[in-house]
Amino acid sequence: MSLSEAKANGEVRVSRISGDARFQSRITSIGITPGCALRVIRNDRNRPVLVYSRNTMIALNRKECSGIEVEVLS
Amino acid sequence: MTATIALLGQPNSGKSTVFNALTGLRQHVGNWPGKTVEKKEGTFLHDGKEYAVADLPGSYSLTANSDEEEITREFISSGKADVVCILADSSQLERSLFMMADYAGINVPSFLVLNMADVAEDQGKKIDAKALEDKLGIPVIQLSATENKKYDMFFEAMNRAIENKSLINISGLKTELEKIEGFTKLEELIPDGSIENYSALWLSAKAIENDRLVIDKLKNTLAPDVIKEVDGIRGAGGGAVSTGNSKFAWIDELLAGVLQKKDDQVKLGKLDRMYLSPVWGKPAVILTILFGLIGSFIPALPFMGLGQAIGGLKAPIAEALFSAGVSEILITVICNVVLQSFSYILQMLGFVFGVVLVFGLLEEVGVMARISYVFDNSMAKLGLQGKSVMPFLISFGCTMGGAAGTRVIDNWGQKVLTIALAWAVPCGAAWSVIPMLASLFFGPGAVLVIIAILLTMVLHMWITAKIFGRKLVKTGERYGMIMELPPYHKPKWGALFRYVLGRTKDTFFRVSKVVLLVCFLFWALSYSFVPGTDPILFKIGKVIEPVTKVFGMGWQLFMAFIASSVGKEGALGVISALFNDGSFYSAFSDAMSGAGVAADLNEVLLSNVTKPEALAFIFAITFNMPCVVALAATYQETASAKWTAKIAAYYTVGALVLSTIVYHIGLLIW
Repeated sequence: MSLSEAKANGEVRVSRISGDARFQSRITSIGITPGCALRVIRNDRNRPVLVYSRNTMIALNRKECSGIEVEVLS
Repeated sequence: MTATIALLGQPNSGKSTVFNALTGLRQHVGNWPGKTVEKKEGTFLHDGKEYAVADLPGSYSLTANSDEEEITREFISSGKADVVCILADSSQLERSLFMMADYAGINVPSFLVLNMADVAEDQGKKIDAKALEDKLGIPVIQLSATENKKYDMFFEAMNRAIENKSLINISGLKTELEKIEGFTKLEELIPDGSIENYSALWLSAKAIENDRLVIDKLKNTLAPDVIKEVDGIRGAGGGAVSTGNSKFAWIDELLAGVLQKKDDQVKLGKLDRMYLSPVWGKPAVILTILFGLIGSFIPALPFMGLGQAIGGLKAPIAEALFSAGVSEILITVICNVVLQSFSYILQMLGFVFGVVLVFGLLEEVGVMARISYVFDNSMAKLGLQGKSVMPFLISFGCTMGGAAGTRVIDNWGQKVLTIALAWAVPCGAAWSVIPMLASLFFGPGAVLVIIAILLTMVLHMWITAKIFGRKLVKTGERYGMIMELPPYHKPKWGALFRYVLGRTKDTFFRVSKVVLLVCFLFWALSYSFVPGTDPILFKIGKVIEPVTKVFGMGWQLFMAFIASSVGKEGALGVISALFNDGSFYSAFSDAMSGAGVAADLNEVLLSNVTKPEALAFIFAITFNMPCVVALAATYQETASAKWTAKIAAYYTVGALVLSTIVYHIGLLIW
């Protein structure tokens, strides 16, 4: 499923990142890569999704999240 | 110049703090030629030798996706920097070393600064900088927020990097990247130096990442059959995602034995539970900004007092000069142009000082990132980032403060667009004039007028965003927020003050030019050089009255409209003088000082101005250029005379168009 559908307070793992070269480079450079585990901190309507990964709290626009496929870990 | 140092780091790596701490007052802000990106340069002295510093535009990587990254790449590859200082955030080392990993393979000497060591320490992290230095082969130091003395270590690392021409040891990265199918072959096809200063490893990685600049350049240097082969491997390489994986794998390997940390736990602090709450987030942000605005006035007050004192000197100085036999024209230039300008400028500087200090502080401690998060959704509709909400709110108080507040917006195009939209927000001076005029003419209907003005403001901002946004924030570059929320930091007071003083000084010189020029121009147009004849502005006003009638303004109102672009409060003074057959010049100069409203203004207005004209006039001055100081502040922040002029012309024309529309609607009603 897409990251924007993930439940808050859950743990997910990135399975696939798709999008144009620019999006790929942006998302990689902030530390989100396939295989990395993300903790979903908040996922509220009309707000960016808030995840925690590689020691960093990251805010991701909901639309951009559609390019990030995740599987639920817990 | 002994050497040039370039600062390279992701946003929030503390890059600007280091830049400000190094350069202090010796910095210059401008624009990169032909690009809509801010250019920050400065110099500093160490051991009696002068060094130049370039603060490279903030970006998350070196891939040529935007102007910022292209400028950074061009600066580094052209050999303008003798050494590159790469910054990373100690508290988020796993992620923030990415810039270093993306730089590895560029053959320009570098050293690594692990910033915000104190934050990492608070989180219970221990970093062995020496061990990392041994692995990387370049000087590595830790820098802490609170200790400025540590810059000794900074200089030592810098000099070592320059002397040894230290390059990053890329063997570990090479092992990781060569796990990508065809990478080794790619390195053979694109040998070292195919493009100057870049290694085969770096170019191959960028080729896989579809980096436009590298691919274009390679097409010019490599044989067509080689390019074909390169393209084949590239296509199957997996893009930035796969090279990113390799880079992070390398970082993890580097940090093994270097970074010790407790269990990785995330818990939102009290402050974040409030700011990030879906319910309380927006009110909390708005309150924060309002308190910030009030806080800005405290350091501003002494400046404002001084500015007003200078304004008060006009009369006694004029008298003294008169009795000394100085010619009248010189006296008016000295008093009504020079003294008046500096009175404006000082009052403005106080406010700029306050706003930059308070909102610079909010940026530094990490609050601004939360503001960005909360308003990302709403501001993205205008092509802006969440932070833009702050200048908009400040502009309800003062447009100049709003313009100064855009300093925390890191994208130049979005910064200029934010200022362009902030002009549409009626400022404090407008709010002191509008309700008065509206209730005079429309009684209780004034409420409707104010509602109409607020609605027009929203519409104006929306249209302006469409018109200006197309150029300033290109649709292809409109990406949703992908941003880190940094942990809260303690502010570095020393660096912050040096920065604020530096910016205030810079503002003073640039703004003085604009304000003096505009005030002189208005003086020249409104002064009767030959006694008994009418000033130029007066003559023009009368001649073009048939035209201004279309806007719903007789010549008197039109003159007041013109005066309102210098200062809103001035508009009423001009009206009362002109309808009373007062001297045009003294009306203008009094109005510019914010005084000169006659006691009988109400009767004068009611007997000379019709309702549609009044309504048109209210809209015209509300949405006109805010004032000369806002104009100067816009020039200061955008560092672009072209865009400042564009915005000013747009608002002048826009106000007249609005006035025309409102006037003709008014004619239908009354």
